[in-house]
Amino acid sequence: MAKSLAEAGIDTVVCNDATTFAAMARVNKVLLPAHAVLANGGLIAPSGAHMVALAAKHNSVPVVTITGMFKLCPMYPHEGQDTLNDLVSPSSVVDFGAMSDKIISDVEFINPVHDYIPPQLVSLYVTNIGAFQPSYIYRLLAEYYHSDDWESFE
Amino acid sequence: LARIPQLAETATRPPQTTMSSSTTTTDESPVLQDLRRHLTGSSTDSGAAIDPEHRTAVALPVAAIKSLLGVIQRSQANTMMGLQEELRGAAEEMMAFATDCPGSLQLLGGRSHIALASGCELFMKYVTRAYLELPDFAACIAQIMERGERFAGISLAARDRIADVGQAFIQDGQTVLTHGWSRVVSNLLVKAAEHRHFSIVVLEGRPDAAGAKAAKVYADAGIPTTVVLDSAMSYVMENVDLVIVGAEGVVENGGIVNKIGTYGLGIAARELGKPFYVAAESYKFARLFPLNQSDLPPLGRNAAILSFVDTASWEMTGGLVGRPPPSAKEGADGEQVDSSSIPGVVQFKSEQVKVKNPPCDYTPAKYITLLFTDLGVLTPSAVSDELIRLYQ
Repeated sequence: MAKSLAEAGIDTVVCNDATTFAAMARVNKVLLPAHAVLANGGLIAPSGAHMVALAAKHNSVPVVTITGMFKLCPMYPHEGQDTLNDLVSPSSVVDFGAMSDKIISDVEFINPVHDYIPPQLVSLYVTNIGAFQPSYIYRLLAEYYHSDDWESFE
Repeated sequence: LARIPQLAETATRPPQTTMSSSTTTTDESPVLQDLRRHLTGSSTDSGAAIDPEHRTAVALPVAAIKSLLGVIQRSQANTMMGLQEELRGAAEEMMAFATDCPGSLQLLGGRSHIALASGCELFMKYVTRAYLELPDFAACIAQIMERGERFAGISLAARDRIADVGQAFIQDGQTVLTHGWSRVVSNLLVKAAEHRHFSIVVLEGRPDAAGAKAAKVYADAGIPTTVVLDSAMSYVMENVDLVIVGAEGVVENGGIVNKIGTYGLGIAARELGKPFYVAAESYKFARLFPLNQSDLPPLGRNAAILSFVDTASWEMTGGLVGRPPPSAKEGADGEQVDSSSIPGVVQFKSEQVKVKNPPCDYTPAKYITLLFTDLGVLTPSAVSDELIRLYQ
């Protein structure tokens, strides 16, 4: 991502996740991608996005999600953070080879793919048909999905 | 616990009502007789004992609509305008009864009459719409009667639909906090308990022991239940996972009117990051837009006098008040101590101190996460759209 932005001539700074809160005071806007948009206006985004959104809320920075309408789901977040989520192998973040067998058997590694972000943390959804607030998403659902089809997602 | 017999008493025969229509009370109009009959769940053909806790006892708006159906049946009008006049008069009579008549407190259980107003208004809108579709008066009346007969069944089906959509939000191992007695919420929780293991915390629900009633129902259904004081709602909030309440009425901006204490519960839930869910049928949607608590319609003379004196027990006051428990009988003559002799117990005359006992409060939409209705799961912002559609 940083490479393609730099190639386009945009000044880019790459920082690690731990500096999110510290850097947020100097940020004007947050842009997030979407894995799915839920019926209550909530957002399923890559892991770490919830932390970014919370830091943004604390610093009154607008959070804008850019997505296509095909990502709109007639689902509610019944399972909280586990909604539409997967726990995958931590090998991408932890080097197993360097660890002893004792550590691997005693320690539990949790590596979720997505985060669920509640609708009050998202300021705007920018989509191919226009920009909407999370509280308006229910209207779009009525246009895209018949109410009979909602059950099949449960 | 002393209140449960009182509740059972109001649940059985109210003293001033006769149940069979063969002996009619002369000072009450047929509309109000019908309303009583439907609310207490008796019917002329079954003659069964009155039991409002039974599942088929109807909610207040449904009883009002059934009473209005009785008006249509008895009506001599030949035009839609005449019929609408009669219906409007009957609705106003029921509203006046709910607001002013002291006897209605027992019957309506001290509930707000917002649901009554919204039920009547929805029914009259439906009558108008039916007439626009079927200009022939007789055919229109027949269709309204037929639809109305099914309405009680529809309202029960609404509760089941709400249970279906709401169950998925309760996961295994969670703790649910609830407040007040609502058949909708109890249906939802009891149905959810058939598939998942969770526990319930119930607020005591003063002054009408609603929490005690609810706790009994949940415990009988096999759900681990804890009862706490109303004042303990913030204390227990950190240990619960979600809050579910019913509603007397749902207002235009997606806020709700419900038993007193719901507003505080909403604020505490939001502050501690717990989702706050409301379970309500769509006929509770009302054309109201309160801006603050004082915007709620007044309840008239029915506000029950609040009493503060039941928590003093022999154990709590160290032997000053009440009787010792039967096992500890040594020396005590069992006589009740006059509380005026206890230091620290405040005595005041009723003219000195005002007592306010509102039965309901208004919870703004921003504290509500989602509403479970028979129209599906709604966000508070979706309520106004559905209201417009219902009242068109």
